[in-house]
Amino acid sequence: MRANRVRLIVVIAVIFAAFLALLWPSKGQSYKGLAMIFQRIPLGLDIKGGARLEYRVDVEQGVENPSEVVDNVWTVLRNRLDAAGYTEATVRKTFRENNSFIVIEIPAATDTTRAEKLLGSTGVMYFGQVLEESQIDPQTDPRLKDLARIKKAEWLPTRDGKIWYLVREEIMLIKDMKLVSPQIVSASPVPETRAGRFGYKVTFELASKDAELFKKITQQLVVPESSVGSAAAKEKRLAIVLDNVVQFAGYVVSVIPDGKAEITGNFSIEEAKQLAAILRSGALPARLEKVSAGWVAPLLGSDIVRTSLWAGIVGLIIVFIYMVIVYGIQGVIADIALIYNTILLLGVLAATGSILTLLGIAGIIFTIGTTVDGNIIIAERIKEELRAGKSIKAAISSGFGRCFITLFDANLTTIIAGLVLYYFGTGTVKGFAITLIIGVLGSFFVNIVLSRLLTEAFSSLIRKPTVTEEGGAQS
Amino acid sequence: MKYFDFVGKRRIFISISVVLVAISLIFIFTRGFNFGVEFLGGSELILRVESSNFTEADVRKVLGEISSDFASARVTRVRSIGDPENILKFSLTLTKTFMAEEKADLQAQIESKISEKNIKGQVISFNETGGSAAEEIRRLTWRAVIITLVAILVYITLRFNFVFGVGATLALVHDVVVTMGFFSFFNYELNVPAVAAFLTLIGYSLNNTIIVYDRVRENMKKFKGKQIASIVNDSINQVFRRTVNTSLTTFFVVFVLLLFAGNAIKPFAFGMTVGTVVGTYSSIYIASPMVIRWVKNR
Repeated sequence: MRANRVRLIVVIAVIFAAFLALLWPSKGQSYKGLAMIFQRIPLGLDIKGGARLEYRVDVEQGVENPSEVVDNVWTVLRNRLDAAGYTEATVRKTFRENNSFIVIEIPAATDTTRAEKLLGSTGVMYFGQVLEESQIDPQTDPRLKDLARIKKAEWLPTRDGKIWYLVREEIMLIKDMKLVSPQIVSASPVPETRAGRFGYKVTFELASKDAELFKKITQQLVVPESSVGSAAAKEKRLAIVLDNVVQFAGYVVSVIPDGKAEITGNFSIEEAKQLAAILRSGALPARLEKVSAGWVAPLLGSDIVRTSLWAGIVGLIIVFIYMVIVYGIQGVIADIALIYNTILLLGVLAATGSILTLLGIAGIIFTIGTTVDGNIIIAERIKEELRAGKSIKAAISSGFGRCFITLFDANLTTIIAGLVLYYFGTGTVKGFAITLIIGVLGSFFVNIVLSRLLTEAFSSLIRKPTVTEEGGAQS
Repeated sequence: MKYFDFVGKRRIFISISVVLVAISLIFIFTRGFNFGVEFLGGSELILRVESSNFTEADVRKVLGEISSDFASARVTRVRSIGDPENILKFSLTLTKTFMAEEKADLQAQIESKISEKNIKGQVISFNETGGSAAEEIRRLTWRAVIITLVAILVYITLRFNFVFGVGATLALVHDVVVTMGFFSFFNYELNVPAVAAFLTLIGYSLNNTIIVYDRVRENMKKFKGKQIASIVNDSINQVFRRTVNTSLTTFFVVFVLLLFAGNAIKPFAFGMTVGTVVGTYSSIYIASPMVIRWVKNR
C-alpha cells in the first residue's frame, strides 16, 4: 500500500533525525550504555547540579536603602543570565551578620571560570571626565602619578591597554555631579548614515531617573564640533568606565536633554556590538566581591534523584505490561509508540539545547500519558467498529479516521494551555511548556502515523470480538 | 459490557463537588500552604564534614533526629575550588528563620550529633536566604490563569459550542482547586515540583474532558432528537473503558513514584496522584452531566 510506504519512510526519517541529534558526539558529558541518550541533553540544577558562585555585595557606607541596592544587583544579574539564555540558573539573596550575599547557581556548567565570564563584569560603571592622556604606563612615571593626585583623578587603561586616561568621577569638580551605575534602558549598534562617516555608531538610552543628570553633565562638557581635538576640548572628554577600564572616551558635541544619546566613532560592526553590549549589560549599583566559586550537587539531592528515577522506571514497566495484557498486539504497538515518542522528544530537546529540569520530566510523564491514551482511544474505537460488524480492514480505517478528530481536539486544547504557560512562565515553567508542546505534537504524530502503520502491518493479530454477545468486551 | 447510569444521580455528584470545592477553598484561605523554601526563603547552613563518605542521607538523618520539622530539609553537596578531597561540604536549606540564640543552639546540636559518629562536623556559615523560585511563579498571576481559561473557552466554543467550553473550564477549575485543597489539608510542601504537578494536571484534566465531549458531539449528530441526558450517558459509557485504562496507566506511574520517590519529589507525585483521581472523576461525573442542564434549557 502506497500510504503505508510513505508512513514507513516518514517514521524512519524522523527517528533517524532524533537519534542523530541525541548521539552526535559532544565534548561535554560522557555516558556509557543506555545513558548515552542523555549525553547531549543538559540537565538542570535540580537533577544534575552545576556551578555555584557566591559574592558579597559591597554596599557603600551611608547608602540610604541598602536592601534596595541588593535588589538592584539581583535584577541586573538575573537579566544578564536571562540574556545569555540561562533562564534556568538561580540567583538568590542571602544575609548574615549585616552582610548581603548573592548566590548564583548555573546549570550544566562545570567550568566555573566560564560561569564567571557568563555573569559578566562584577564592577561598577560610571561616566567620568577625561583630563589627560598618556601613551606610556603612568605607574612608571612619577610625574604622571603626581598629576593624578593633584587632580584627584585616576589613571585608567583602555581595553587594549595601549593608552591611559586620567579620569575623574566628578564632572568639572562640581559636587555630586557624578553618574555612577547609570541605568541604561537600551543600547544598539546602528549603521552610520551621515556623510563623511562610515561604519557603525552606537545609540543608547538612559532611564528617565538618570536623564536629568546626564543633561547637566553634557551641558558642562559640550564643545563645538569645530574645536574637537584642541587642547581645551581634550580636557572635556567623557569617558565610560567599567571595571576600572575606559571602555570609550570621546567628545560631547551636543547637549543631551532626554537621555537619548549616540556614540560615533566610525566603529566596525564588532566594535559597535561590543560597546552596545557593555552598555546594555547593565551596570551593577554596587561592587561584588567573590566569596567562593565551586560546584553544587543536584539540588534535590543525588540520592533522591536516583530513587525517583528507579520509581519512574518501575511505574513505566507496569504500564508496559498492563497494556500488553489488556490490548494484546495493540498494547505492544502502544509500547513501541511510547518508546518512539520519548526518543523523539529527547531528540528535539538535544537539538534545541533545552535544559531538562524536574518540570521538564513532568512534561515527559505527561507525554507518556498522552501517547498511551491516544493508543487506548484508537484500540477501543477499532474494537467498537469491529463489534458493529465491520471487517478488520474497514474497522482500522474508520477507527483511525474518527480518532483523528478526537485526538486533534484533545491535543490542540492541551497545546493552547501550553502556549499560554510558555508566554507567561519564566525559567523552568517555560521549560515545562516546551516539553509539553513538543511532546503532545509528537504523540499526535506517533498515534496517527506510527500506530497506524503498525496496526495495519499486524492487523491479522487483532482479535475480533464476538458480535453476538451484547458488547463482548470480556477479553 | 455493563451499562452504568452516570448522569441519573448528577445532582448528587455535582453537590458533592460543590462541597468539595468549598471545603478546599476554606482550607486554602484559612490554613494556607506549606510553601517550599524555593518560594519563601529561610535559612541556609553550610556544614563542613571531615570525612569522605558522609552522604546527603546521613545529613538528613541528623536533621530529622533534631526535629521532625527538618525532615523535609533540602540537603545538597557543594564544593569550592581548592577544597581537599577528604572534606565534604553540604548546603542545608530549612524553611525556618532563627534568632541568634536559636542559631547557636541548632549549630551545636548538629555538630554534636555528627561527633557522635566520631566524625568532625562544623557549621561554617549560617545565612538567611531568599527564595530562588519566587520569580518563577510571580508572572503566573491571575491574569495568566484567566487568559488560559479564556483561550480554552474560545477554542472549545469554536470546535464544540459555548456550553461545552464553560463545562470544560469549570471542570478544570474544579480539579485544580480540589487538588490544592488536598495539599493544604495534608500539609504537603508546595514546592517547584508541586507546581509541575499542577501544570501537568491542567493538561490532563482538559484531555479527559475533551475525549468525553468529542463522543457527545459525535452522538448528538448521529442521534438527532434523542434526549440529551441519554446521549451524554451513552457517550460516557462508550468511552468508559478508555477512561479507566488511561487513568490506571497514569496512576501506576505516579503512585509508584509517590510510594518510593524521595522527599523533594513526593509533593509532585502526591499532586499527580490526587489530580489523576480527581480529573478522572470530574470528566465522568462533572464535566458532561453539567452540560446536560444548559443544553436542555436552551
